Amino acid sequence: MKLKHIYQLPGFLLLLIFAVACEDDAYEVPQAKREFQNDCIKRSLGPNLVNNRLEFAYAMALPKDMGKIVSAQVEASIPGVVEPVITNGTFLEHRAYSTDGGGNDKAVQVADPSSTEGNLTKVTLTRDTFAVTLRYFYKIPQEAKGQKVTFTFSATDSNGRTVSMKMGPYTISAMDMVLDSTVTDNTEMYISIADMATYTAAQAAAIPDKIDLVYLYRALVQQPAPAPALTFKHALVAPAADPVYLPGVTLPAGVNKDTKIIKTLNLRDQQLARLQYGIFIDDLDFEKLDTSTATNFAINLKGEAGVWVETADRQYRAYVYINAVNDGSKNMRISIKRLKMF
Amino acid sequence: MNSAMKKYINNKIVASLLGLLTLVSMVRCSHDYPIDEDGLLITGRGSCYVSNFELLGTDFVSVVTSTTAIPATSTTPAIPSTRNVVIDTTALTINVEVALGTDLKNLYPQFTLVTDAKLDPKITGKVDFSDLSNPKTYAVISGNRRVRKEYTIYVTVQQ
Repeated sequence: MKLKHIYQLPGFLLLLIFAVACEDDAYEVPQAKREFQNDCIKRSLGPNLVNNRLEFAYAMALPKDMGKIVSAQVEASIPGVVEPVITNGTFLEHRAYSTDGGGNDKAVQVADPSSTEGNLTKVTLTRDTFAVTLRYFYKIPQEAKGQKVTFTFSATDSNGRTVSMKMGPYTISAMDMVLDSTVTDNTEMYISIADMATYTAAQAAAIPDKIDLVYLYRALVQQPAPAPALTFKHALVAPAADPVYLPGVTLPAGVNKDTKIIKTLNLRDQQLARLQYGIFIDDLDFEKLDTSTATNFAINLKGEAGVWVETADRQYRAYVYINAVNDGSKNMRISIKRLKMF
Repeated sequence: MNSAMKKYINNKIVASLLGLLTLVSMVRCSHDYPIDEDGLLITGRGSCYVSNFELLGTDFVSVVTSTTAIPATSTTPAIPSTRNVVIDTTALTINVEVALGTDLKNLYPQFTLVTDAKLDPKITGKVDFSDLSNPKTYAVISGNRRVRKEYTIYVTVQQ
């Protein structure tokens, strides 16, 4: 046999491969499984704080000719908080949502409002439904603090079949959070990290051991140009700080804690700031915080700034976020996250 | 020339080319340029100075003060705002004024150096400038690594 054309063979094969590879497969709509199915996602982000809510979306469906969904339920390993207004606490939605052209949620009621007894939150569907996604909200109770919580989502169809799905475990943060306290110069100017509260001088005098920070606003006398701008404005200062940082402040008797303070900027925790930034301060951030060289004052604080704080007895570490400052009324709105270290 | 001889000569040429290629590769593998102990290139530049200096606080915002600008009047021209950093490359000093309330224990210094120069000691994080009576010193080493100049940083706090 002559192998005269043997060198043309690879080229021919390559052409053949191209010709085969260029053929498009016709698209086919995937066939749904002929069974009752469910799926779940967690929608809420960030550390799981007590009194905050975890949010899930639980989807369940079966082929239309195989029956309808009768009920859905969620079992939490630790009972969630139930509020008098049901939608403020732990509940399973009795409405399914879709999005309209404007991006708004459009609700369709498919069941009666859910009932929660102990660990179990349940809805019974009142409308013929073969596919639905229901949202579940779990308000974290105080007793879950520092523990892990798991959820079992399940649904039952008209044939008595049940599907279920486990979610978690989710660690509940040991942090505490207080939002939107207002501190005002010369009135409510004393902050207790232990109580996560603000006090007046008279109140502070009654609990001097608990006062960790003093808020003050000062507008210093500016020297004529070209002297540099001298700014003090909003300040958070430890009672034991150098008096130069507490001008005109007469501390109540016994208020003398040397709190450690580290000034920060652009650390806009989403839970404290409630802004668009996807930053979350977690338990680990407090555990890893290095306060060995921290000072005891922070002056010239601006809105959306913050300070890391460690109490003098080192029992608490906190992050004080400044939501807003007001030079005119000499006050600022703060939100605090705190972790008890021991 | 017969075919056996041709083949022999061809083999010789191929072997010579391969040998040359190996030699070239070996030469290419050697270092063309000297590097120092930090893996940085040692160049021919002998310039050795700090061209700019900055101090940042724990919030990564500059703590260096600036003079207030003076607007122009009918008789005097405008005087723009200037940062209170004075770098003396003869006396080898940096005088910097920081704002009232600066946390001197936790500052991040930033140096801008002439091309190819490096700093000693290296800045790896926060630096404590709180001992104002013992100012910090940093050495600038030139690109050819033959010139070393010790700069002293004098920090004053705005009053």
